[in-house]
Amino acid sequence: MAGTVIGEGLTIEGDISGDEEIVIHGNLRGRLTTTDAVTVGGTAVVGADITGASLSVAGQVTGDVTASERVDIQAGGKLVGDIKAARFTIADGASFKGNVDMEV
Amino acid sequence: MAESSVIGAGTIVSGHIRGEGSLEIFGRVEGDVSVTGNVVIGPAGRVRGNVSGAELRISGQVQGDLRGTLAVLLESGARVAGDISGPRVGIAPGALARGHVQTDGEPAASAAREPAVARAAAPVRAPAPAARPLTPPARIAPAPVAAPVPAKAEVRAPLPPPARSEAKAPLAPLPAPPPQPLPKQAPLRPEVRRPEPPRVASAPPQAEFTPVRPIKPEPRRPPPPVVPVISKGTKAKKKKSHD
Repeated sequence: MAGTVIGEGLTIEGDISGDEEIVIHGNLRGRLTTTDAVTVGGTAVVGADITGASLSVAGQVTGDVTASERVDIQAGGKLVGDIKAARFTIADGASFKGNVDMEV
Repeated sequence: MAESSVIGAGTIVSGHIRGEGSLEIFGRVEGDVSVTGNVVIGPAGRVRGNVSGAELRISGQVQGDLRGTLAVLLESGARVAGDISGPRVGIAPGALARGHVQTDGEPAASAAREPAVARAAAPVRAPAPAARPLTPPARIAPAPVAAPVPAKAEVRAPLPPPARSEAKAPLAPLPAPPPQPLPKQAPLRPEVRRPEPPRVASAPPQAEFTPVRPIKPEPRRPPPPVVPVISKGTKAKKKKSHD
């Protein structure tokens, strides 16, 4: 169960931090830090540096990503920024621009 | 779209939240919240900033102004430091509020729609402009104040339920208590006297027409004289029991 859900149509300007799963369908500008999974839905537009256990992107993300486990860009997802994660996948149909560091 | 959003208990948001849809806050928000839908702030939720939405239901803490286009309801346990405004404002018993409270717009459906949340407070405010004191606590007071009056009347007859007086008194309409005292008095007094009177009472039906014993009216007449009698009897009994 997602601890935090930012619904479509909702905009947050600022930082989000926590220790639970975060799902974003809306807009976020700022910074996102959690110890759990982060999911960026297809309708989401995120302009933020993201730190979490894992990241799944189906929407648009602009910012650097640090994940302790993995980063997945789904088909249709768009990510611009540097990625630091042990595992990283880009699905067919996804777009990505940035540096990748998988040495973590 | 009117999708609902949730700020989980383990999440802290430092910044402004705005947009469409409803929002539930169980974590912390440091910043203003402005949405088109309803806002629920859970018992563990904390907000430092102004909150505006359609219907605000607050169970947690808020430092900032509350503005509800439909209603602002403070549930028990809510702690609000800031101004409150909306067409319907409810402050439930157990909620704390400090600030200016203003009910504007049409309070029409307030009484009907609001559940138990603000029964006590709503009627007081509904009357309206007059009910805009600067001190929120004063509003909470009216409920208990009004209660004692009816409560006293009730207390006379039924000895057992003194606890009712404050909380339940206002809820229990006046019609209810009167019927209770009468039946209760009847059984209580005979018992106090001893088993004899009931026997006498049962006897009369057999000799209904005997003028000697005006037993028939007894159930009705006795009460007045009985009152002092009871006290004497009970005292005597108490003394005996103590002895």
